[in-house]
Amino acid sequence: MRLVALLAGLLLAATPAAAQFNINLNRLLDVGKNVKKATTEVDEKEEIEIGRDIAARLLGAAPLAADEALQRYVNNVGRWLAAQTERPGLPWRFGVLEAPQLNAFATPGGHIFVTRGLVARMTSEAELAGVLAHEIAHVLKKHHLKAIQKTAQLELANTVVGTFTRQDDGANRREKLLAAGSELFARGLDKDDELEADRLGVVIAARAGYDAYGLPAVLQTLQAMNPQDSGLALMFKTHPAPAERLDALQKMQPTLDAYGGLPQLAQRFAGNVRR
Amino acid sequence: MRRLAALVLLAPALALAEPASVIRDTELRQAPASDAPVVAPLAVNAKVDALERKGGWTRVKAEGGQEGWVRMLTLRYAGAGAARQGDLGITQILNVARTGTSGTQVTTGVRGLDAEQLANAKPNEAELKKLQGYAATDAAAAGFAAKGKLEARSIDYPKEGG
Repeated sequence: MRLVALLAGLLLAATPAAAQFNINLNRLLDVGKNVKKATTEVDEKEEIEIGRDIAARLLGAAPLAADEALQRYVNNVGRWLAAQTERPGLPWRFGVLEAPQLNAFATPGGHIFVTRGLVARMTSEAELAGVLAHEIAHVLKKHHLKAIQKTAQLELANTVVGTFTRQDDGANRREKLLAAGSELFARGLDKDDELEADRLGVVIAARAGYDAYGLPAVLQTLQAMNPQDSGLALMFKTHPAPAERLDALQKMQPTLDAYGGLPQLAQRFAGNVRR
Repeated sequence: MRRLAALVLLAPALALAEPASVIRDTELRQAPASDAPVVAPLAVNAKVDALERKGGWTRVKAEGGQEGWVRMLTLRYAGAGAARQGDLGITQILNVARTGTSGTQVTTGVRGLDAEQLANAKPNEAELKKLQGYAATDAAAAGFAAKGKLEARSIDYPKEGG
């Protein structure tokens, strides 16, 4: 039903152009299918492929930190966390990006990144786990994937009338999704998605046996920093203010208190992170 | 003494004596527990120096010189960020960061992950391949967790909107 209504709308919108350029009705129907496809559930295989391609672009902006021990350490922490979630079978990958900014990123399907700048501000493995768990929560809840699909759907709908050349529909759609995905890192998710990832992140870290206060501790570190520090600009643009996130986490006080005494592993962290 | 030294090493290192204030009326307690004796009441906005964190508690020194523990989540640090929250503050911050008009804090030439570079980045397949090579197996991660005495447990997520 929705497809029919959508197509009717598209045809209506395109009628003057159709008359003027004598365009092929089948072509419009194809584009209509495309729009429909971009709004429906992407299957897991495609979710992983889209995430992989976005991860490759992210690595084009900043390479991995050249420290294999650190990368393997972060992958151990991350994989252990992911194993405690509802999607343990995803091809989870974790990487430290060589960038001075403080930030962390997730792409659909399980590619997770944290910057060297953020790792340098952490004091324990529980803090690292808290940040990775927040990003894992984005993947579990498909926050980015949903936002990407929404943007791509709008883009496709907008280009229907203007695009008359025959293109490979699948590739075109993928390209739109990728562009939307890269753009999302600069624009950010909805605030509610971020606050949900904070709550779930606290639980995931505790499930893995870490001090549940790791993520709040990182947020407090960020809150204590000078917000004019240019290394914070993108994170502050794309996330609620740390103080607001800490306020929201007060709802999690029972969980935090129940699992606040678990290991922080500050020494193991210090041994694996060269300053 | 040796035990004390070990404790100091284990404590997550807060920068010593970080100025902060409390966001609501609370109490300074003798130990990091809600049933520990109260050292002194702290009124909303009371200024303290944060010394160390232990779980959900932070050891602080109050203005009167008394030391004790307060709930970590009641503390907000008094950096330049303390007075600036919400969108307005962030917009100002971004403007400063972009234009560099503050002249002091902005590091020019910071490369890497700013919005523009993210938008213009080209795929780096070689780095992606490296990333795949660093992946841990479930078995390796479980062994790593056991070494750190991390025990998996079953905990429910909070209810929607909770």
